[in-house]
Amino acid sequence: MPPMLRRAALLFAAALYLPLAVAEAQPTHEFFLDNGLKVIVREDHRAPVVVSQLWYKVGSSYESPGQTGLSHALEHMMFKGSRTLAAGEASRILRELGAEENAFTSDDYTAYYQVLARDRLAVAFELEADRLASLKLPPDEVAREIEVIKEERRLRTDDKPSALAYERFKAMAYPASGYHTPTIGWMDDLDRMTVEDLRAWYEAWYAPNNATLVVVGDVTLDEVRTLAERYFGPVEKRPIPSAKRPLELDEPGERRLTLHLNTQVPSLMMAFNTASLATETDNPRQIHALRLITALLDGGYSARLPRQLERGEELVSSASAWYNAHARGDSLFVLSAAPNTQKGRTLEEVEAGLWAQLEQLKQTPPTPEELERVRAQVIAGLVYERDSITQQATTIGMLETVGLSWRLMDEELAALEAVTPEDIQQAARTYFTRSRLSVAHVLPEESGDE
Amino acid sequence: MSDRTFMRSSLLSLLLLGTLSLVACDSETGDAVATIPPAQNVATPVESGQAIARAAQDQPRLQSLAELDDQPLPRRNLDIQSWQTEGGARVLFVEARELPMFDLRLTFAAGSSQDDGVPGLAMLTNAMLNEGIAGRDVTAIAEGFEDLGADFGNGSYRDMAIASLRSLSAADKRQPALELFSQVVGQPSFPDDSLQRIKNQILTGFEFQKQSPGKLASLELFKQLYREHPYAHPSEGTPESIPAIDVAQLRDFHARAYAAGNVVIALVGDLSREEAEAIAAQVSAALPQGAALSAPAAPTLPPATREHLDHPSNQTHLLLAQLGIERGHPDYAALYLGNQILGGGGFGTRLMEEVREKRGLTYGVYSGFSPMQTNGPFMINLQTRADMAEGTLQLVQQLVREFLEQGPTEAELERSKRQTAGSFPLSTASNADIVGQLGSIGFYNLPLTYLEDFMQQVQTLSVEDIRTAMNRHLSADGFVIVTAGPEVEQQPLPAPSDKPLEQPSGVPEH
Repeated sequence: MPPMLRRAALLFAAALYLPLAVAEAQPTHEFFLDNGLKVIVREDHRAPVVVSQLWYKVGSSYESPGQTGLSHALEHMMFKGSRTLAAGEASRILRELGAEENAFTSDDYTAYYQVLARDRLAVAFELEADRLASLKLPPDEVAREIEVIKEERRLRTDDKPSALAYERFKAMAYPASGYHTPTIGWMDDLDRMTVEDLRAWYEAWYAPNNATLVVVGDVTLDEVRTLAERYFGPVEKRPIPSAKRPLELDEPGERRLTLHLNTQVPSLMMAFNTASLATETDNPRQIHALRLITALLDGGYSARLPRQLERGEELVSSASAWYNAHARGDSLFVLSAAPNTQKGRTLEEVEAGLWAQLEQLKQTPPTPEELERVRAQVIAGLVYERDSITQQATTIGMLETVGLSWRLMDEELAALEAVTPEDIQQAARTYFTRSRLSVAHVLPEESGDE
Repeated sequence: MSDRTFMRSSLLSLLLLGTLSLVACDSETGDAVATIPPAQNVATPVESGQAIARAAQDQPRLQSLAELDDQPLPRRNLDIQSWQTEGGARVLFVEARELPMFDLRLTFAAGSSQDDGVPGLAMLTNAMLNEGIAGRDVTAIAEGFEDLGADFGNGSYRDMAIASLRSLSAADKRQPALELFSQVVGQPSFPDDSLQRIKNQILTGFEFQKQSPGKLASLELFKQLYREHPYAHPSEGTPESIPAIDVAQLRDFHARAYAAGNVVIALVGDLSREEAEAIAAQVSAALPQGAALSAPAAPTLPPATREHLDHPSNQTHLLLAQLGIERGHPDYAALYLGNQILGGGGFGTRLMEEVREKRGLTYGVYSGFSPMQTNGPFMINLQTRADMAEGTLQLVQQLVREFLEQGPTEAELERSKRQTAGSFPLSTASNADIVGQLGSIGFYNLPLTYLEDFMQQVQTLSVEDIRTAMNRHLSADGFVIVTAGPEVEQQPLPAPSDKPLEQPSGVPEH
């Protein structure tokens, strides 16, 4: 459970990160290598450590039917050898250096990282550049690794009812875009994935001109530039397929899903098709208003969902609101909840209770006290975020990779402060409609089909 | 460790927040290096990059490795200051002026090992701290912290209960946040309506647990491993114990276990020594006055057992455990290093190489000692497809047996020493890291030089030291084993990849 908690916390923080009003902005530099690799360096000299992250603009939203799971499988295979390195050797070297390393894949990106003592950064660069330039993909390693990925799928999706439900829900909520594809891939597609598929995916997307290198820690611009030129500079630029933003139908119509799973407790998900900062470029205030709505509903133990639904009405045993404003394409505003079964509350009552919350947002502007509370949390969050070099790097890399700029970090307090109470009501009216809605009811198996 | 409340974090993670975050797939599970016992680091020749390059090969193909010089590792000097408050609280403080914030963490010997026959009492008391104080209900308390941008956190485990505060350091934020925090921790009112609500949420949490084979296996494992000992029951209590707990029991537990003499105060951040002293004194004075509770007695050795829980999942979860050691045990460094080689923290361990890398049987396999106030567990956990469970279990047992018989190789030992040294700067990189280290040093009564001592001790260990220590505490036939999954016909394991385990970087291609 702890790793999952950390991820949840990180997501929450990432949804609220903002610039710093209280401490001076950290020196941040950016430059390009001749081969198109973008490099961003943020100095943080508190401890003699550094994080290096290489972000590729590819993920499961780029995949076609029948080819799902390719980005994530390729991420696994990046640990299985390249021109200079045998399978697993880079990991053994990094382990021996005391580095933390890993990788993650999402709808919009695939990223690799190393956290290590500052004097070892060159090793991280050399290993990373080697697999960018010359991945091997040995057939026997591919075959075994696909078995590992199937175990990962069984562990993290198939045997986890809440994850399985969300996978099915997402497939319904995104009718038009690649966001309906689960990042880990459908089991049938894992079964028929080939070395050639992986090779083609690698050759299509893994080029320096499709990547961003983010370095945060006890380093200077000059040393990073020298090392980056030395190790990444020789990697050749390549033409990249055009990547189209995942756009959705604005109002696909109300969709409902009922799932009977191996769970004792029913739960509910509701999602509205929305734009994101990347797709609502004319009126970003609408998007920031949706972010503020997330904070009003679920930005702390005093926020509306815990205060009114969990404690006041005792309607839910838990509820949350979530919105990713930083997608490469259109997004979803998601609410989820479990009814308070000890009090005999039902999914229908919970659904009505959540709608009442949304109607309240449409009818009544938030109080100045509520907005001031959100602002205080945002400002403090900006300081707290800087305690972690990894979190800083992740924010920068994510923003760049979805086609926004890391500079948003330094502009966001202003952007959120520009949102008026009327903007919040307007965003609620625009987006919280039945025609944008997907609902899933997750029920225990015992209750059976009708 | 989560800084949100038990209820919110456990329910939410069981529910959907955790699910939503799964849109990103890490390629490894587990805590990787995060559990490394920490420290300022000590330069020794073996930790340098050149040594690694030399060990790997005569003429390294990696230029960067060859060029790593023999300079000692960069280090962050941690000046840990320590004193006692008038009420008897031990304080550990590190001044860190770089960011305008501070972290305060109180660690009480108030975990479920102090439940005294009422499973869940310690956790409920902890979860109820921020539900009410004189003149303020739960929402007013939450608003109080959130208006200041301050994060209140609590959590309860087997040995310890935690209450924490992260706040901006500016006086207009810090002082009201500390005042509220002191009241919440020192004078909670335990309102009855909150207690009913939280009990209901916990009962719902038990229903959620039933869908998780890993959780069910873990509950059973602790029961078998610790039997009559207070570590045997789950910290969150049981469906039988929770409904009966009342406010009077919480008050009594709070008066004893949240006493100033039973807490360690860790402080890191943008504070002077004088400010830190004032904060510690304020917090300590707000607590009930009283002495430390005694640590639980040592558990008795359980018999080796094997238990299977039938569960309609795709995978079978395998958990193997034996009693390990208590914190501060002189064998810890040897056991730590031995476990790093066997199965601690991610890729490159024997278990990971054999079970995942060579056979594709699992997404992750980890082993580890969790030293506690008394013998914490040594545990191995993994999951595999149900029809390979029996073969995989035997493979893991065989790997442990070989390791106990032969110990690590010299090469494994040297690599692991370098890893331990090299990762030390990471363990105190952030304020959050440091406050965690201080809490642990203070709670387990370790010397202030613990981090450095540990480092030095690790560097002196021999293969024989590790083999001896591992055999002193573990036996190949001594495991308590719990599996959870469907009962299906078993298949033989696939043949392992025949590649050599170690492929030195210096070997030319072809």
